[in-house]
Amino acid sequence: MTDTSHGIGGLSFDTRKRTRPPELNVFFALIGIVVIFEALGYLLQGQSFLFDSADRFPSIFNEARLKIIILQVAIVGIIALGSTQVIISHGIDLSPGSVVGLTAMVAMSFAQTATVNGNPNPKAIFGDWAMDLPVIAPIVVGLAIGFGAGLVNGLLIAYTRIPPFIATLGMMVAARGAAKWWSKGRPISFPTEEFTWIGNGLGGWMPVVIFIGLAILFMLVLKYTVYGKHTYAIGSNEAAARMSGINVERHKVLVYVIAGMLASLAALVLASKNLTAQAGMGVMYELDAIAMTVIGGVSLNGGRGSVIGTVLGALIFGVIISGFTFLKLDAYYQEMVKGAIIVAAVVLDQWRQQRQSARS
Amino acid sequence: MKKTMLAATAFATLMGSAAMSETVGVTMALFDDNFLTVLRNGIQEFADGLDGVDVQIEDAQNDVAKQLDQINNFIASGVDAIIVNPVDTSATQAMTDAAAAANVPLVYVNRQPINLDTLPDNQAFVASNEVDSGTLETIQLCDNWAAEGKTEVNAYVMMGELSNQAAVQRTADIHDVIAAGKCAVTINFIDEQTANWSRDEAQDLMTNWLSTGEPFDGVIANNDEMAIGAIQAMKAAGIDMASVQVGGVDATQDALAAMQAGELDVTVFQNAAAQGSGSLNAALSLARGEAVEKAVWVPFELVTPDNIADYLSKN
Repeated sequence: MTDTSHGIGGLSFDTRKRTRPPELNVFFALIGIVVIFEALGYLLQGQSFLFDSADRFPSIFNEARLKIIILQVAIVGIIALGSTQVIISHGIDLSPGSVVGLTAMVAMSFAQTATVNGNPNPKAIFGDWAMDLPVIAPIVVGLAIGFGAGLVNGLLIAYTRIPPFIATLGMMVAARGAAKWWSKGRPISFPTEEFTWIGNGLGGWMPVVIFIGLAILFMLVLKYTVYGKHTYAIGSNEAAARMSGINVERHKVLVYVIAGMLASLAALVLASKNLTAQAGMGVMYELDAIAMTVIGGVSLNGGRGSVIGTVLGALIFGVIISGFTFLKLDAYYQEMVKGAIIVAAVVLDQWRQQRQSARS
Repeated sequence: MKKTMLAATAFATLMGSAAMSETVGVTMALFDDNFLTVLRNGIQEFADGLDGVDVQIEDAQNDVAKQLDQINNFIASGVDAIIVNPVDTSATQAMTDAAAAANVPLVYVNRQPINLDTLPDNQAFVASNEVDSGTLETIQLCDNWAAEGKTEVNAYVMMGELSNQAAVQRTADIHDVIAAGKCAVTINFIDEQTANWSRDEAQDLMTNWLSTGEPFDGVIANNDEMAIGAIQAMKAAGIDMASVQVGGVDATQDALAAMQAGELDVTVFQNAAAQGSGSLNAALSLARGEAVEKAVWVPFELVTPDNIADYLSKN
């Protein structure tokens, strides 16, 4: 007992039993996967995966590939930040993908430009009054939809006590229906110049800047604020959290509202990046977001995990997608391998946890 | 009487038979699809222009069972003919049997039923031949490359959803054109991947391809959305769109705008409205006991910057 230190609130812990943070394992997994692609790249393509083997860039890296690795997961990554706090609070949110579709459709209706190549906009949803509105209009409308969807999810879960899986499944189906209904399934295109900046600004880095900016914000919020501490407390033991005076119901509503607004923000970036909104946008995004979260070490049992883990999980996704294309792996195999990697990551994490708890 | 009706065009025939009212039941696979909506409106508008023809259009909401129920309801209410836009093309035998048992004429539209070869005499199929779309696209791209003075080109292929018949067919078309010697240049395919019909996935896929730095001359996409995604990725990477050929299929408004901007080079128009009016035409003919070809093909139409003006208001 010589090494026993004193922790907060009179709890003591044995420093020898402290293990490295779980995020470090995810980071090693990321490095491992990169090394595999690097090796296969030399073997099969005669090219480096991450490094500049043809002297095309000023640095030693293949900058184009580094950019796409993170760019292609930034939008789902924004959703995954919301999923992270939902899952830490021992909930689940299946609705973000559909909220993305609905938000994209409605917000794009308020972001249209009046003329396309000199002709009137062929996809106009409303009359002239809704043309060339300032960019704040679609942003406010979009975020309001995310707020509304999250509020409904949160109220249902907190006050009717139906399982989050069911409440958000309902929202997933309903919001997708609303997305199709909005324009009777027709795509909405041709946004204003200003609106395209949300997803294409800063030389195309805008989605990444938003994702990383929000990741840092949520990392700080979950780690250092009362909001974060309550989220972990409710996820670890809801009854205990309630006993200690946390307003569990109100907090849950807040968690789902934030998740909904992040989903609608992702939709704004997605619609802007693609210059179009379609009712089918965002299908399966919620599952990709959950997969990123879980690969990053967030426990579906609640109370455990971090934003850093989720960001690393997102990067693993990005590396895998780019790596497959880099290796020219046949399209038919890509999804099979991706599925296997998701399951393998969680299995490894489980083993590691069991080993750890067996030791302590 | 029958002879004169056969000789007359359907339109004139219908004008002549204005007195007798005819009802045609229509079941669409789903209402909230852009292309199928244009097709549905094509049926409705053609019916509105005819005297004494009523159409009743139902939404099967992508549900095979619901669609069969709708057909049986049409039969029960005594419609003169039925038009089916099948939810699942492999589930059409039951629909054919139900209509045949009640001796009600039936026309499949847009999606080819699996039992096309064994359809009874009073049933038909109206659509565009999917073999043509990818073929027209590829041949035009080959000609464009040849016109640039190239003899050998490197190209990427973007496929639609791998479980979708149109994606498989259009990709096969590309290779068939080359195998048949109809391509004016030699194409080396650098890579062939799916972007699931999606503009967003196509953008990411193209950016991944660009990160390899391999020189290429163009992208052959299974649809316009993916072609536009590829274009957006290339523009973001600073590639001069005049130096690459990009082709798609569908001639959507977005694609036509991209073509006007000099970014998209080739697309193919599938005439949804003509398929709609054609299916109603066939249904009415069958209802009067006239013979109709088993498969009525509405041709795909090639769209290039030269004839784009004809298509701007069609979709």
